[in-house]
Amino acid sequence: MQANELLNMYHVDANTWDEMYKDAFVREQYRGVVEFMQELSVDELNKKEELARKLFMSQGITFTVYSSGEGIEKIFPFDIIPRIITSSEWNYIEKGIKQRLKALNLFLKDVYSDQFILKDEIVPIEMIYSCPHYLREMHGFPVPYDIYVHIAGIDLIRNSDGEFYILEDNLRTPSGVSYMLENREITKRLFPDLLPKNNVRTVTEYPNILHKNLVSLSPRNISNPTIIVLTPGIYNSAYFEHTTLARLMGVELVEGRDLVVDNHRVFMKTTAGLQQVDVIYRRVDDEFLDPLVFNPSSLLGVSGIMSAYRKGNVAIVNAIGNGVADDKAIYSYVPAMIKYYLNEEPILKNVPTYQLNNLEEREYVFANMNRMVIKKTNESGGYGMLMGHSASDEEIDRYKIEIVKDPRQYIAQPIISLSSSPCYMNGKLQPRRIDLRPYALCGPGGIEIVPGGLTRVALREGSLVVNSSQGGGSKDTWVLAGSQ
Amino acid sequence: MLSRVADSLYWMSRYIERTDGILRMLKINYASSQDDLQDFSWKPVLRIFTYLKEGNVDKVANRSRAVLQYMVTDKENSNSVVNIVTHARENARSVQDHITKELWQCLNDYYHTVRDEQLVRLLHREDPVTILDVLIKQGLLYYGTTEITMARGEGYAFLNIGKFLERAVQSADILDVKFSDKNYDFDESNPTYWKYLLLSISGYELYLKTYRSGFDPKNVVEQIVLNEDFPRSILYSINQLHRYFQRLKSEKNIEAYHKVDFMIGKINSKVKYSTVETIMRQGLHRYLQTIKEDLYEVGTALNQHYFAYV
Repeated sequence: MQANELLNMYHVDANTWDEMYKDAFVREQYRGVVEFMQELSVDELNKKEELARKLFMSQGITFTVYSSGEGIEKIFPFDIIPRIITSSEWNYIEKGIKQRLKALNLFLKDVYSDQFILKDEIVPIEMIYSCPHYLREMHGFPVPYDIYVHIAGIDLIRNSDGEFYILEDNLRTPSGVSYMLENREITKRLFPDLLPKNNVRTVTEYPNILHKNLVSLSPRNISNPTIIVLTPGIYNSAYFEHTTLARLMGVELVEGRDLVVDNHRVFMKTTAGLQQVDVIYRRVDDEFLDPLVFNPSSLLGVSGIMSAYRKGNVAIVNAIGNGVADDKAIYSYVPAMIKYYLNEEPILKNVPTYQLNNLEEREYVFANMNRMVIKKTNESGGYGMLMGHSASDEEIDRYKIEIVKDPRQYIAQPIISLSSSPCYMNGKLQPRRIDLRPYALCGPGGIEIVPGGLTRVALREGSLVVNSSQGGGSKDTWVLAGSQ
Repeated sequence: MLSRVADSLYWMSRYIERTDGILRMLKINYASSQDDLQDFSWKPVLRIFTYLKEGNVDKVANRSRAVLQYMVTDKENSNSVVNIVTHARENARSVQDHITKELWQCLNDYYHTVRDEQLVRLLHREDPVTILDVLIKQGLLYYGTTEITMARGEGYAFLNIGKFLERAVQSADILDVKFSDKNYDFDESNPTYWKYLLLSISGYELYLKTYRSGFDPKNVVEQIVLNEDFPRSILYSINQLHRYFQRLKSEKNIEAYHKVDFMIGKINSKVKYSTVETIMRQGLHRYLQTIKEDLYEVGTALNQHYFAYV
């Protein structure tokens, strides 16, 4: 069979924006890919899929699932058909994210210092003090260059009208960027010459920009500061990403047990004695970072690191306490923040969000549960989520009881129909829902976003949940250069 | 370099060296088992490379396939190839930013090869030499990739320190067990026995070129302990160990360096200024035993002065 027939058999779900097709026509930006695919047989497509799997496996781009004492290597499912973003779409997204990030950084600075936004009652004060990620330890401590969010992974989705919406802001330790880089490498192998022919912009600058930003944060004014990536260790599911970033930046990958704090300075233990550390790109959560200040049973962190940080002897990236800005309940105030701090209209829209401690909104939500998604404000990875349209009555009732008990823990949003994209699965082209996570890097010189990102795919038919922990996969994400 | 990283590199390298030793040993002993009129015994191999109790050794000692499976694919055997390669790969995984991407991929492929479910079946049914060859080749790829891609820095030094320490211990072990099996009888003149011993450590051809008068156990000892040109000899391994250790010299850790350098230098001289006669006078077993103990002490000292991070 030819891939051509597969393309003809592809059907878009009703009331959904499909990234490749508009009615029966292939969108302009996908023509190159479709033409290439038309030349292939199903056999060849299968071979490409197999090659992708092998490449991931042999490069160890895997995460380990431990069961019955034995590790099983799994790959993060990858769909061979790229997701394509035109240059005008990208310009819009880029502008919108930069604006949002600027406001979020100002918010963090404000909320940890003067708190003007609370005094002006733009954000209710109880929202902040009820947020477990608001850390008193950060109050009144000026972080270098006033940058709190150095790396952001802001999630976007596309509604049935084709409009982009912000789904959530990930400002703590967003992951997945290694898949943005590796997916591209795989595509180079799967579709020779296709990238240059389609004018796809490169993503390889990411580690260089990140490294440049990290160096610029060094508290010691020396030419060759010690930069490290701090990982929880090989059992962490994102360990592959940590090694990739360390390797691509040429910096040391370090675990908590490799570090020691002496006289408010952080050192790593080397074969030649102790060596002072200047900048830490940590992939360990706030809570586990310093057992003296936060979770006392943490073995992943370093005792005393917080004091070194507060003394300004070490830079920590992202800053500690960012969780207060990407809390799902705070999310609904971001458009107001943009107006308050920047005096601008938000470029990218928020998904409407209902605060469940507001009685009126709660009643509305309860009356329309089957059109709502309920999210726990402090969970991520797709945990603690209820999709109203597919949940059973018992589940809905259980959630209602929980919500009434502690409404601040939950928010509700109308279910958004994510856009779909063709995926090659089981020898067929099938529509699957996708989102987009571009990675924004914020340094003293401004905000930079490499043209690309991670497109996550909900692999189950009809599913709207793209999180990798909930059976999601990914696609290579192409951003095309101008004149499109 | 981080102490933890140095430690992992050192062990990664030791594990691969051990795997290589085991696989070669298995291959040649298997060949020997097909070439023996009497019941071939795997006893010496099992005694060198496993922790089996004497009674259990006897149970499988004459069953080649069972031994191969136990030594290659048995996950219960802590020293089986599949387990050691897994350890090597876990160590590599935690130091991926210190080994080249090629080297990591090579070890990762090795890991996926030994864990292939097919392997158990093939080892049971097909020609075992083919399987062992596949695995040995993966090891050779590792050595080649290390040689060609790794920077000649501290990491490379630790890789080689691990490799040659392991090799020296292994050669001492092999020689000791093989002789103990013949009750250290230096009149044992069964040429097949010595031939397979030498073959198993790739020393047969060199032996033929060095000694013209057939097989003499004394010459076997001389080659395996004292021949500086034989890459599996104890002396060669210790020379290399010393050479790579000396690359670690730096002002920062000078006291520890001198301590360990002294220890390695002492063993080096001890072996270098031995002859077959002095070894025989001491007794081969006692001689090899002291060398092994000295080498273990070097391992402990490295641990204390270079790898300690807890």
